[in-house]
Amino acid sequence: MAALNLKIEFGGGLELLFANQRSHRITIPRLVVQDGATQRSADINFLIHWLKDNLLKERPELFIENGTVRPGILVLINDTDWELEGEGDYELKENDEIVFISTLHGG
Amino acid sequence: MAESCGNPAAEAGEALMPRKRRFDRSRTCVKCKAQQGNLVIRHSVYCRDCFTPLVTTKFRQALEPHLNHTSAGPRRGALKPSGNLLVAFSGGLGSTVLLDLVHQVYCSKVGSIELKGGKEHPRKNRIWRKIYVCYVETSDVLPEASDRTQRIREAVEEYGEFEFVPVRVQDAFDRSWWERVSGGSVPNPSELSVDLSNEELFRLSDTEAHPDPLSALQAYLHKLPTPTAVQSTISILTRVLLLYTAYSIGASHLVFGTSLTSLSISLISSISQGGGFVVPQSIQEEWVPSSVETSQKSTSWRGEVRLIRPLREVGMKECTAWAWWHRLVVVGKQKVPAARQTIGDLTKDFIIGLERDYPSTVSTIAKTVGKLAPKGDAGGRCIICELPTQRSVQQWKARISVRSFNEEDPSATTTAAPSLTPWLCYSCHTTLTSKSSRSNTSSNPGSSAAASAVMFPTWAAMHFAIGSSNPQATDPHISTADEVWGTRKLDSNGMKSLVEEFLVDD
Repeated sequence: MAALNLKIEFGGGLELLFANQRSHRITIPRLVVQDGATQRSADINFLIHWLKDNLLKERPELFIENGTVRPGILVLINDTDWELEGEGDYELKENDEIVFISTLHGG
Repeated sequence: MAESCGNPAAEAGEALMPRKRRFDRSRTCVKCKAQQGNLVIRHSVYCRDCFTPLVTTKFRQALEPHLNHTSAGPRRGALKPSGNLLVAFSGGLGSTVLLDLVHQVYCSKVGSIELKGGKEHPRKNRIWRKIYVCYVETSDVLPEASDRTQRIREAVEEYGEFEFVPVRVQDAFDRSWWERVSGGSVPNPSELSVDLSNEELFRLSDTEAHPDPLSALQAYLHKLPTPTAVQSTISILTRVLLLYTAYSIGASHLVFGTSLTSLSISLISSISQGGGFVVPQSIQEEWVPSSVETSQKSTSWRGEVRLIRPLREVGMKECTAWAWWHRLVVVGKQKVPAARQTIGDLTKDFIIGLERDYPSTVSTIAKTVGKLAPKGDAGGRCIICELPTQRSVQQWKARISVRSFNEEDPSATTTAAPSLTPWLCYSCHTTLTSKSSRSNTSSNPGSSAAASAVMFPTWAAMHFAIGSSNPQATDPHISTADEVWGTRKLDSNGMKSLVEEFLVDD
């Protein structure tokens, strides 16, 4: 299969940057071209940039910083902390559910 | 070159530190050691099932030892708080999680599958007569902010067990609010108007009263020297409003949803603005109106309010996970917008960045600051923030700083108007007087006092009125009658004549 279907959810106020929609179903290529011509599996780092380019409606600096998610955003991959899955290097699989939750709504 | 790092095997350019693992040992939960972990909390791995009791336990351990009026000692007896519980609710993440925890731990229904009989009987958990939730609305003084009281009310009333108490931040300048919370026991003070253009903060008489509390508060905030001062002031007013509200509804405990992360942020921010002396109050604070404090001491409860932060060991990441997994809706907190960043904002950015890259450091900040004990005695209470003031802090400040560019005539007496400076803590005094280089207030000493006049909050006016009329009973730090040492400022000739005999001739 050349494409991956993923479920993306936003919480903690991040949905406001994505057309006020909490839940999204997206399709991304399974293999992507990195710098040079080498192909590699799409990973979370790629997904973050893909979301910024294709789904993000405003204020990119509130979502992405220095090539990764801004500090204060918790990322869950299939209900598991991305720190347990290798963070940005985790290779996406079909029907993965990725959740981005901002912790910065105050408190 | 390779030898310089002491590792001959590493080639130049490849002697990089291996990337630090984000968690210790394995991916299995450290508690049950059976399930795969779902969350990493400061290098420890927890599964979702163990996460909930972990947070609940931390909450109870931070709160329950302080519930009984007199501590039961090492043997935990029944929990019998003296009064009601007031939950301070800002609408933010911490408050939302706190409210949920209070409900889960103290309001469980009969028949809940989580509780069994005997010691676990649901009735055992109903230790509070009544639980109130208070929200302080600040939108009236924040540009582009919307009123959230109704949304907050709906979020709170969804639990069905709490009584909602809305307060507006301008109530701090509202005499009718003051009459309600003080129960009419203290006579309404005349207004206290102060000149902010002079560091001595002289009291002004004959100033025009403001038509309503909101315009008084807006004028106060407008004349503050920096955006940091505005942010701090709103925070201070909110806190004191909550304390008086707690007292007026018979609450013995006031809980805040300050997470470990928020606590570290507020400690660093406060210390950088001069609040180091009251750092122990972040751990444990017991407050009662000063009229009650100066009355006869008693071992039974006189209405004292204990201010506790039960989420002080729960980081922001844990709060987020809790809110997500328990499907909580977070209304959100009002942000104080500023054209230039405030100390609070800068501190927050720094610590949140730290939490991602070095999570243990955030915990270390709160724990280390919690071990600090300030030097010196308290010399009374600040009339604005009602926290202890450090004795002789103004003399210390005079010794270390250049107060003015002019050589003051040391024999000149000040005007007849009383100075408010001795009545304030170092932090509040700094908030009112510390100007930045880009400050918009005039630093020209010739500017009229009336243009920089502000009204102080009602409780400050009350403290000042009572204190001025009865100097003996007031805070010791402003009474210099029985001081053995006096200080007198010398000009340069005076100083030279004192040391002349010790000077070596060239």
